[in-house]
Amino acid sequence: MEKEIYSEILKEKIYFHKLDNGLEIFVMPKKHYTKKFAIFGTKYGSMDNKFIVPGESNATEVPEGIAHFLEHKLFESEEGGVFNKFSKLGSSVNAYTNFNSTCYLFSCTDKFYENLSILMDFVQSPYLTDENVEKEKGIIEQEIRMYEDNPHWKVFFNGLRGLYHKHPVKIDIAGTVESIYKITKDELYKCYNSFYVPNNMVVFVVGDVDREEIYKTIEKSLKPSFKSLSGDIERIMPDETKEIMDRKIEEKLSVSMPIFNIAFKNTNNILKGKELLKTDVQTKTILDTVFGKSSKLYKKLYDEGLINENFETEYTFDVSYGHSVIGGESKNPDRVYDIIRGEIEDIKNSGLNREDFERVKKKAIGQHISSYNSVEFIANTFISYYFKGINLFDYIIELQNMDYDTINKRFKEHFDLDKSVLSLITPNN
Amino acid sequence: MLDVLGQIELNESVKLHTIKSNKFKTDLIGVYIRRPLLKEEATKNSLLSMLINKGTEKYPSFLELNKKLEELYGSILVSDVSKKGEQHIIQIKMQLPSRKYVDSQDILKEGINILNDVLNNQITQDGGFKRESFLQEKENLREKIEGRINDKMKLALERCVEEMCVDENYSIYEYGSIEELERIDEKELYQYFKNVIASSPIDIFIVGDVEEKESQELFTQLLKFERGEIISIPNEVINKSITKVKEAQDNYNINQGKVTLGYRTNIPYKSELYESSILFSNILGGGPNSKLFKNVRERESLCYYIFSKVDKFKSIMLVSSGIEFQNFEKAKKLIQQEVESLKEGRFSQEDIDIAKKSIVNSIKSLTDTPNMLMDFLYSQILGNSFDTIENIISKIEAVTKDSIIEAGKKFELDTIYFLNKEKEGQ
Repeated sequence: MEKEIYSEILKEKIYFHKLDNGLEIFVMPKKHYTKKFAIFGTKYGSMDNKFIVPGESNATEVPEGIAHFLEHKLFESEEGGVFNKFSKLGSSVNAYTNFNSTCYLFSCTDKFYENLSILMDFVQSPYLTDENVEKEKGIIEQEIRMYEDNPHWKVFFNGLRGLYHKHPVKIDIAGTVESIYKITKDELYKCYNSFYVPNNMVVFVVGDVDREEIYKTIEKSLKPSFKSLSGDIERIMPDETKEIMDRKIEEKLSVSMPIFNIAFKNTNNILKGKELLKTDVQTKTILDTVFGKSSKLYKKLYDEGLINENFETEYTFDVSYGHSVIGGESKNPDRVYDIIRGEIEDIKNSGLNREDFERVKKKAIGQHISSYNSVEFIANTFISYYFKGINLFDYIIELQNMDYDTINKRFKEHFDLDKSVLSLITPNN
Repeated sequence: MLDVLGQIELNESVKLHTIKSNKFKTDLIGVYIRRPLLKEEATKNSLLSMLINKGTEKYPSFLELNKKLEELYGSILVSDVSKKGEQHIIQIKMQLPSRKYVDSQDILKEGINILNDVLNNQITQDGGFKRESFLQEKENLREKIEGRINDKMKLALERCVEEMCVDENYSIYEYGSIEELERIDEKELYQYFKNVIASSPIDIFIVGDVEEKESQELFTQLLKFERGEIISIPNEVINKSITKVKEAQDNYNINQGKVTLGYRTNIPYKSELYESSILFSNILGGGPNSKLFKNVRERESLCYYIFSKVDKFKSIMLVSSGIEFQNFEKAKKLIQQEVESLKEGRFSQEDIDIAKKSIVNSIKSLTDTPNMLMDFLYSQILGNSFDTIENIISKIEAVTKDSIIEAGKKFELDTIYFLNKEKEGQ
């Protein structure tokens, strides 16, 4: 049975079709686009290190970085050359792992259904041997080393380690060199069999495509072994306190000047679905109103030479966590932190500027609409929200519905100075 | 639908190119100002690109200008410089949500007005840029130039080029140098800006749901240029004899070494062998099916990333990878072996087909991203060879194994660069 969702504002449509085995398929037609883009994703990311499989009584605990390791290994197949199959059709294949999902994707301009069939096939066909698992370790070690020299990555994860005591969002997505060397073939299979199942996965396709042909191609590619588990997997998340772990974390790296992240921790993580989306939309709007390029705070910091053009904010969340990050480069990050703290106190007393809020809201609407130019944005964002129980088309509606009073309420709740961390990367020479 | 429509000359050497498509949510305007890449100009161009989008007479501060852009449904105004061979391009881009999606019929017009203000109505003080903003951006540029070391992957590529082309303009860093920056003052920079606007070849693109006639009328009416004598920009020198392979390294307190090999392809982009040289590089290190990926990463587990790429205008191929420090000699040797083996013709028809398809796929894909499409069309203009996308594709298709080998044989290793850890005791 096929359903459709239409967005009047975006003038876009998404079709939804659920297969008998539980796999869900979404298709967004994009007329006149040359590129066709598909993602086959599983709701399984770096945070899912401890879980109970339906039918088992004991919890399984696996080394950090295993979801990402598995992502690398799925490109291995018995006859060899997953990359080669896509390359022969002229398409490019890729994958990524984040906190809560692993996604396999390709983009092509030709032979779309063949490509789709290869995508479906390789993700359903793990081929792991002790030897090929060992071989991957050197490659992933170099990936980890590459991130160790990336100050923006380091400052971000150090900030998370300051915010969280136990929550696995603080774990580096690729794990550590130490943890990946512990990973075994059996553990990889265990994770694969637990999370790469139809009712934990989704397919998203965007481009100038034929829906019936997509459903047919996918149905045909299903392996008998690809079956939903009899129940939901239980993901064990440790109880995370409302308090932060460290106020300030500093590390030295080869950089030209201090790089900072100021992070704020959500203390109320009980929301789901639309309510969860509302806090997301609200928090992003607040960040832009208070710290954006038209804010008086930005002007003050910029005019005093305390920040440069690399000054950005973001809000990241899932059902079990959420945090805002304000990041940049500064000669005097402690002073930036003080000024930001002062501004937050002021806004708590006086409220956000109403005119600024209305303008920033207008901006957010225009930019959200504009982002639908990109098939990559659509597919990646849709899946990311879908795994959080949110329909992406509701984003623009919640943006429009957002009002000044709820924004102020959210501001007071989220920007608690006792729940903030200053993470710093400073020059090591 | 996507149509590359005609071009008109708005003024002397100021050309407007309209690309009509109804598939996008936005209208994107790009202004490309073309300069030679010179030591005495690069830092100025770079500083200008940082200064001119920070305010205009009408919106005299960054704050006010941004408020206006936000009112226009989050329109985005950016400016930057980019190095294309030995040319230095100042780019100003403005993205506006299309009229079809927001409640503002004049949004495009308002956007062009702001662009006109950026180009013609900067805030001045005693015949120069406003001192305060000038000093601010000067400091920001200093931080940007010094901040080059923060991205080690890019640094390893740029440093290789600097060592390789030490006495050529191509070695100039695209954001300029601290040394040149010290010398610039706000008056001189303003005079320079006026001169840049009057004397540089300028190309303007619009990609959006707009008719040719409307686009031409709007830009003719709203975007003004005072033109003087137009400069001519020399072509790059690409042949250089190599007597000995240079080796260079820098030491930083880091966790991963980066090796970069710089080759002279000795094939200009106007040569019949140009497409073959692109295919050579693609088979070598263009993606997961390439020789380097398969052998250095997958077979030897030496690295996570490894790639090769060609600078169209300067005819240079760079191969780069991140490795364990102690594997430098091994990686260096393996990379050279792969290059040599390709020169000897050790690759299959399938390798060629895959490389062709991958290039064709990326060219076709460009038409879905306004910004990439624009940059691509502009690079055609820079090469004075405005080919249709279909034509470019058929040139790629026509390449043969023999021509790839012929092209590859011209490639010469010039420089090996290594970004290494600090020596013990430092």
